[in-house]
Amino acid sequence: MSTLETPAPPPQPPVASTVRPLAKKRARPSEQLFKWLVVGLTAITMAMLIWLLTSVLIRGAGSVSWAFLTDKPSSNPAKAGFNSALRGSIVLMMVTIFFAWPIGVAAALYLEKFAAQSATLTERRLRERLATGRVTGPGAAWTRIRLWWLRIRPRVVHLVDVNISNLAAVPSIIYGLLGLAIFVGVMGISKSLLAGGLTLAVLILPIIIIAAREALRAVPMSIEQGAMALGATRWQAVRSQVFPAALPGILTGTILAMSRAIGETAPLIVVGGVVYSTAVPSLNPLEAGNEALLAMPLQIYFWTDQPQASFQAIAAAGIIVLLATLLVMNLVAIILRNRYSKRW
Amino acid sequence: MTPPDRPRARRSARGRFGEKAVLLALAAAATISVLVTVGIVVVLVEEGALFFTDVPITEFFTGTQWFPLEGKFGVLPLLNASIVIALIAAVVAVPLGLGSAIYLSEYAPERLRRVVKPVLEILAGMPTIVLGFFALDAVTPALQMVFPGLGLYNALAAGIVVGLLITPLISSLSEDAMRAVPNSMREGAFGLGATRRVVSLRVVVPAALSGIVASIVLAISRAIGETMAVTLAAGTIPNLSWNPLEGMQTITAYIVQVSKGEATRGSLQYDSIFAVGLLLFVVTLVINIIAVRIVRKYRTVYQ
Repeated sequence: MSTLETPAPPPQPPVASTVRPLAKKRARPSEQLFKWLVVGLTAITMAMLIWLLTSVLIRGAGSVSWAFLTDKPSSNPAKAGFNSALRGSIVLMMVTIFFAWPIGVAAALYLEKFAAQSATLTERRLRERLATGRVTGPGAAWTRIRLWWLRIRPRVVHLVDVNISNLAAVPSIIYGLLGLAIFVGVMGISKSLLAGGLTLAVLILPIIIIAAREALRAVPMSIEQGAMALGATRWQAVRSQVFPAALPGILTGTILAMSRAIGETAPLIVVGGVVYSTAVPSLNPLEAGNEALLAMPLQIYFWTDQPQASFQAIAAAGIIVLLATLLVMNLVAIILRNRYSKRW
Repeated sequence: MTPPDRPRARRSARGRFGEKAVLLALAAAATISVLVTVGIVVVLVEEGALFFTDVPITEFFTGTQWFPLEGKFGVLPLLNASIVIALIAAVVAVPLGLGSAIYLSEYAPERLRRVVKPVLEILAGMPTIVLGFFALDAVTPALQMVFPGLGLYNALAAGIVVGLLITPLISSLSEDAMRAVPNSMREGAFGLGATRRVVSLRVVVPAALSGIVASIVLAISRAIGETMAVTLAAGTIPNLSWNPLEGMQTITAYIVQVSKGEATRGSLQYDSIFAVGLLLFVVTLVINIIAVRIVRKYRTVYQ
């Protein structure tokens, strides 16, 4: 080693030529690859849907006929019809909507239009009443209870909110267990269309509440405030202004909830089992308590579960009828939304 | 007694009896939704408790054999099958759902998006019995060409159709989360020279991550609770196995199997469907709570 260390070369300034000019506007391979990846994944999903629909159509189209819609079930696949299942589903929907709609809409009205409103004025009035000492004894106790309720109400409403969104995520088969234990077990309803309809009503109740609340929320506050400024009470304003304005939205949500209910199989099996019956249910919903639990998805399941290939064909035919029903329901919902929805 | 400064009209409006009755009726309707939850919990716990008086809870959770007719009630095979099928479904649905979400949110022209999105959502509204039929009638035969000797009932076909069912759930919720990312962030990244792929993967996806993860978690919960497709496609033989090519019975399929026959009320089999139902309810509830927590904890709010 010499005494003289060679000094480190001074850092070179960047040479101008290493700064490359902007690349030509040609997509890089990784860019193209990624784009085709996401396009491909979307296309695969669509292709699976198309595969599903075509395989059902090919398998079942030959069996769909007028006779198929009007014939009773039969152990002979060539003669078996879908009529009982169709009637069963219609009665089921009538029972379901009869119970679920009023309760769901009423709950939505309360949660959206009454419980969520600020109660400062009422609270002040109650406080004044207590302070003046005009009320005594049970009256004062009642006033205190009302004050306490007003104080905890926001928390209670929040809990109910959380509860409803959790209910909407409970697996449908759990509702079947609920229906089996409560409607069949405790209330003693036979395993009938009535028990099935009640179970489906409980199942779609949270869906209707959520949809109705959204429809109510879309109506601007100014409508309600305008009515109240003219002297209407809140209920009058809600009944004659807000509710009619929200009705198309509520009905759209209701139809979508029904299209969920009409395809449900698992809760019905749990409530009523899978019965082989050649009975043709009456279309009168008041008779629902005496009619065997038959429905389109149950019949499809029964046929699919049979080993013979000829039953697979009529199962596919049943699926075509079910999907056509769903299509009609969704079209009605879309038309309703497009025709009557207002932009405020 | 009335102070003179109080206007009479307001008092009469306040005191209407009909109004109070209506309000009470509406509140009662809202209470019913709470009663449903209470009802579910009470029913499952009460009937499940009957089951656990006969079957020790330790045997239930550690037993590896589920043969109700022989009195062997170890729930692991059922739980394992539910998890295996949900995992297969996730393996199918996460790439498909996320890919569709990125395409729809970052690449697709608006007009195409308006067509593709509702079409994908048809899958979400498909009755699960239809997916079960599809699995038996089309997916399994197709898989049998790839895996010769594959039985009619297998977890793979069940997992694939359940995956199809939950794909729109993931794509729809994830896309909503991605579209909520403000455009200024994309434009900022483009301005720095980022390409569309980099913007998608390094800016939009991380910004929407809480929504994306929550959608996947929710989808898995839905897959575990799925019933008809797995009952038809995976069969009804309890089987503690991780091999997706074998048939296995899930929790939900067991409930269907018992309900199909006539299990008399009060029999051990009747009680057992409530016990496994309770397990299913708790598992899905915990998963849903996790999803809500994820959103709440990691959500970034952009203006």
